[in-house]
Amino acid sequence: MMIPRHLRTVLTAVAFAALAVPAHAQLTIDMTKPSFEPVPIAITDFSGDNVGAEMATVIRNDLQNSGLFRSIPPGSFIERNINANAAPRFQDWRSVGATGLVVGQVSSAGGNLKVDFRLWDVVASNQAAGLSFTSQPNNWRRLAHIIADAIYKRVTGEEGYFDTRVAYVGETGPLNLRVKRIAIMDQDGANNRYITDGRTLALTPRFSPTLQEIVYMAYGENNGPPRVYLQNVDSGRRELLGNFPGMSFAPRFSPDGTKVAMSLSQDGNTDLYEMDVRGHGMRRLTNTPAIDTSPSYSNDGTQIVFNSDRGGTQQLYVMGAGGGGEKRISFGDGRYATPVWSPRGDYIAFTKIMGNSFGIGIMRPDGSGERLLSNGFLVEGPTWAPNGRVLMFFKQQPNSGGRAGSVTLSAIDVTGRFERQVPTPTDASDPAWSPLIPQ
Amino acid sequence: MAAFTLKLPGPMTIFPSRLLLVAALVLPSAVLPSIASAQQQAYIDDRLNQLQQTLTMLTGQLEQLQYSNTQLKQQMEKMQADYEYRLDTLEKGKGGGGARPPAPTPTPMQNERLAPPPSTASAAPPLAAGGNTAGADQMYNEAFKLLQDGDYAGAERGFKSFVQRYPQHVLAGNAQYWLGETYYARRDYQSAMTSFAEGYKLYKASPKGPDNLLKLGITLSALNRKPDACAIFARFGQDYPKATDLQKRRVDQERSRNGCG
Amino acid sequence: MRMIKAIAAIAALMFVAACSNNNEAVAPPSGATVTPGSVGDFKQNVGDRVYFDTDMSSVREDGRATLAKQAEWLKKYPNYPILIEGKCDERGTREYNIALGERRATSVRQFLIAQGVPAARIKTISYGKERPDVVGSDEGSWARNRVGVTSLE
Repeated sequence: MMIPRHLRTVLTAVAFAALAVPAHAQLTIDMTKPSFEPVPIAITDFSGDNVGAEMATVIRNDLQNSGLFRSIPPGSFIERNINANAAPRFQDWRSVGATGLVVGQVSSAGGNLKVDFRLWDVVASNQAAGLSFTSQPNNWRRLAHIIADAIYKRVTGEEGYFDTRVAYVGETGPLNLRVKRIAIMDQDGANNRYITDGRTLALTPRFSPTLQEIVYMAYGENNGPPRVYLQNVDSGRRELLGNFPGMSFAPRFSPDGTKVAMSLSQDGNTDLYEMDVRGHGMRRLTNTPAIDTSPSYSNDGTQIVFNSDRGGTQQLYVMGAGGGGEKRISFGDGRYATPVWSPRGDYIAFTKIMGNSFGIGIMRPDGSGERLLSNGFLVEGPTWAPNGRVLMFFKQQPNSGGRAGSVTLSAIDVTGRFERQVPTPTDASDPAWSPLIPQ
Repeated sequence: MAAFTLKLPGPMTIFPSRLLLVAALVLPSAVLPSIASAQQQAYIDDRLNQLQQTLTMLTGQLEQLQYSNTQLKQQMEKMQADYEYRLDTLEKGKGGGGARPPAPTPTPMQNERLAPPPSTASAAPPLAAGGNTAGADQMYNEAFKLLQDGDYAGAERGFKSFVQRYPQHVLAGNAQYWLGETYYARRDYQSAMTSFAEGYKLYKASPKGPDNLLKLGITLSALNRKPDACAIFARFGQDYPKATDLQKRRVDQERSRNGCG
Repeated sequence: MRMIKAIAAIAALMFVAACSNNNEAVAPPSGATVTPGSVGDFKQNVGDRVYFDTDMSSVREDGRATLAKQAEWLKKYPNYPILIEGKCDERGTREYNIALGERRATSVRQFLIAQGVPAARIKTISYGKERPDVVGSDEGSWARNRVGVTSLE
């Protein structure tokens, strides 16, 4: 079932010639504005093959779940059996309230699947995008995500994030004997599978920003201390990153994927180190009697934000990527943890621990402009979508009556307007968003 | 350190427990040094932990102080720029009238002691409803001058007659606020409270509105009416979502100082 | 003279009792009482857990008394390898709690070493908030999950 998804995939994109006279497009959205209406969009079932309807469903879910689009129910469509290679009857689509219209056609090309799709600007009565893709038939979901990304990009001006995956910790069983496995799935919850066997606790997966690789920590057999592992999610090849006398944990990749920052703990003291992924050379980054953990590189790789209790409570600090020049950036009430630098570089997301609740928030890298996006009994561990516009995190409900509260994944956009639960087959924590999958 | 190297006699542990106890009683000189060494080590560990905790606490305080220092410095620079801009305007003889460029930020709330910004008066555009506008401005400025000179009774009279005579004037909210300050400075918290409460009721939308509400809370706190003070601070965010960061921080500080939930 | 006889009798009794205790240590555990020197004895009569305040890793007064008793017991029974498990309540973040649990385990270890338990016998591990003792989301449960467990198995 698991198909190698990376470079071997045959995937070509060809821009279509526009069918209609170009006019000034109306089909745009500025998501940075304080308020906007989701773009009403009609996505027709793609013609030519049964998989076309399923592809349309995937695209509808992607766009609808972004909060930026409103998918118009197909039942209300007036124009049926639409020809993917001719201009639609714009009036029909205007009268069902659509601003955009997506049509597509699926065909077979030498054992491969060929998909042509067009995005029509219904208001301006012209073609906004037209692309053709060819790939292996079992890649149809990916093709649908890639088309959704193309629509998202055309309408918002930002890169999409639908053709991505999410690693997380799948949790099963009672709390005192909880099994915690690293799982991986498509961003929309499809193709879920486990990549550790659950014999020991495996936690905190983090994606490489460049490759389909993750780092995570796992406990050893027979009460062995946690260690950091690197694993290729497609081949399954696993590698121990350093065998140190104490615990090693809280790993995170540098933006170029060549280094991993992590915490090493000895005699109760936890400091930050940086390891060269290929040569396994180690460099010490901090040296304090405090707990220094949860490091995250800046998008340009020159700085690291991390979590330390050197001032008495957990706060966020920024330092140079080689260590030194530590500067505290969090000064609000409460404790701050798990900082994650946005891939765009504009924000640092974090977990905030307040009196009786936890929050997910963002602040600028200098600590200004703090904003809470979500809060609850326990919300923790934000991770950024590769376009830096959406965050995923996990949410735990209180335990009660001797039973563990549910643990689920949530996604929220940086404006905090649109939060939704991400479906997982079991309880789930510690999400890690992948970069866009290489085509 | 030497005591640390002494160890408990090893073979003892093979004896049954009660005999061991007897042995310990019979042979105090042989065992006591070990106990002392253990206690000493525990003591040293304790002291180290305490020192570590103190160091950590001091680190945290230092970080906070540095942060407030930076914030204050930025605030000072802003005020300085504002001050210079206004002086400049005055020198060029444009004071009061005409359209002002959007540059200066509103002068923020001062500390609890009186330190009124010299510019509040001159910044007001002449926009009074009826009456002798020039006379109103002059009256306000005179009261303000008295306040600056520390003549609180004189300032009180001045601001009081100003709000009585020009209740609709654009500076009426400011006058009401400074009236409260004349009481506060003299620790007449009861009158200060009445005055600030009046200001909140009548001039909620005045530029001095947020400062007025904040000061009302502080005055209530000075009167030891903490629950009321907390209720006022809780209102602040609702009523003035666009208040300056400095004001908001000040409210947060007051909230925690008063132990508001 | 009667006095001396009585003391001798008591001493003899104690010796017998001690011997029989000693013998029981080899015999399988019987009924309600735990065997001295067994893991059950340690858990029940000494106490294998010390608790911590929120976000703290220094051993509290009540914990010191427990650890002093633990040290005496562990010195008396030198064959048990010792694993100190540090744990935290759920009101913290995962990674930080793993470090905090390690700090707690280390506090317990240092205390036992200071009381004369050989350092080489004692290992530590932190479970952060991953292996709570008590399932509950109230102050009582959290207080019991901020714990250092001296485990002999």
